[in-house]
Amino acid sequence: MDRGLTTSAAQDFIERFESPSRRIHWTLGILYVLLLLSGVTNFWPEAKALQFADVRVFAWLHVVLGWAFVAGLAAVLGPLLAPTPAGHALRADLGELTRAGLDDYLWLQHLALRAMRAPSTPPRAGKFNAGQKLNALASLTLSLGLAASGAVLGVNYMTKSVFGVGFVESVFPWHTALGLIAIPPLVAHLYLALLHPGTRESLRGMLLGRVRRDWAREHHPAWVDAVERAEGRED
Amino acid sequence: MDERTSSTARRAGGERGAAAAAGRVLSRGRFLALLAGSAVAGWAAVKALGSLTGGWRINTVEQPRPQFDANAYRLTIDGLVEQPLTLSYGELLALPAVRQVSDFHCVEGWGVDDVQWDGVSLQTITDLVRPSPEAGFVTFHSLGEIYRDSLTLEQALLPDVLVAYRMDGAELPSDHGPPARLIMPRMYGYKGPKWLTRIEFRDRRDIGYWEERGWRVDAWIEA
Repeated sequence: MDRGLTTSAAQDFIERFESPSRRIHWTLGILYVLLLLSGVTNFWPEAKALQFADVRVFAWLHVVLGWAFVAGLAAVLGPLLAPTPAGHALRADLGELTRAGLDDYLWLQHLALRAMRAPSTPPRAGKFNAGQKLNALASLTLSLGLAASGAVLGVNYMTKSVFGVGFVESVFPWHTALGLIAIPPLVAHLYLALLHPGTRESLRGMLLGRVRRDWAREHHPAWVDAVERAEGRED
Repeated sequence: MDERTSSTARRAGGERGAAAAAGRVLSRGRFLALLAGSAVAGWAAVKALGSLTGGWRINTVEQPRPQFDANAYRLTIDGLVEQPLTLSYGELLALPAVRQVSDFHCVEGWGVDDVQWDGVSLQTITDLVRPSPEAGFVTFHSLGEIYRDSLTLEQALLPDVLVAYRMDGAELPSDHGPPARLIMPRMYGYKGPKWLTRIEFRDRRDIGYWEERGWRVDAWIEA
């Protein structure tokens, strides 16, 4: 990095997500939300019956978006395996998200203590805290489960000659259960990313790639330390 | 600043020690309360999911939903028959009844096993009205006059085709088209109109609501 050219304003920010991570998050994330919304109409006969050009709008949307989601998941393999700096950053994020340690346990205990109004200070979180890791693991597991079960139902929507009716009907409740389980963590994620004042700053990171350094130092101090060491800026 | 330069492991260990020393670990009472709360929440979640994930997903294009009035209701059986018939709700219930336990399959991919239906066999109704020789098809109309579907006479006379007015021991709930719906267990559920109000014998096939929108006319279930 050419430090001579950076302004002081730029130094107030810290790079959080490279573009492949952001692209994947928004592509799959928006599809995920639309799929859940169109999926829950299955419990609402009046909405389900809505038609356009003799096609049931929500059923059709759900299947088309579902195939797009399956394709999107498969397409993640490209950047994930790419021997580029961006691919490396993506693999690093995924590695961080799927690695747990004592700090993660302590972070959850901190959350429980604070929920019960007991005094507690959080451990020094790295790039991701335990809540973010749990959200990522839940999203990944649910996405894969929903995509696999949804693919069976999507094939059944288009042709009855591939899967037997018994198999399809055994998959259907699983798809429903996974979809319902996905709602609370998604609501929590949207609340923390869009509304909650303390965590809203993270949205900038997912939109523009960078976050305020002082915010990062408060919420992810161990990560800021590591980044600043790498930048040769350790105090 | 000492903490910032120490290794992750030492830092975490220090945190844990500090937490314990400051008495910040959960007390037994609070831990048990948390455990009990989680158990109740988990049980409630499983119960709620169980009733939501299995079972019926209601479909109807009859909007607003037809309202069944036991006094006003009539089931008309007409068309190419020697003896057209109009049955009141009471007269329908008075016909010889049969009980059937069958699996219900929806074209969407869900199903409900072992549904118990009480009703009148379509064979019984056909015997009463005596179709003329040209009658080769039967159309079933819904009370709201939006939904209808049809079977060939041969399909309609299969022994498990029912005009069902009770489901699992109770009158049809409003989602299931009271007072009566057609049950054709060997085909997908869209072949069985709900709020059944007219059975019409015809010499030509009357294509059904969904078939007009590209769905299969003969919706046999292949296991």
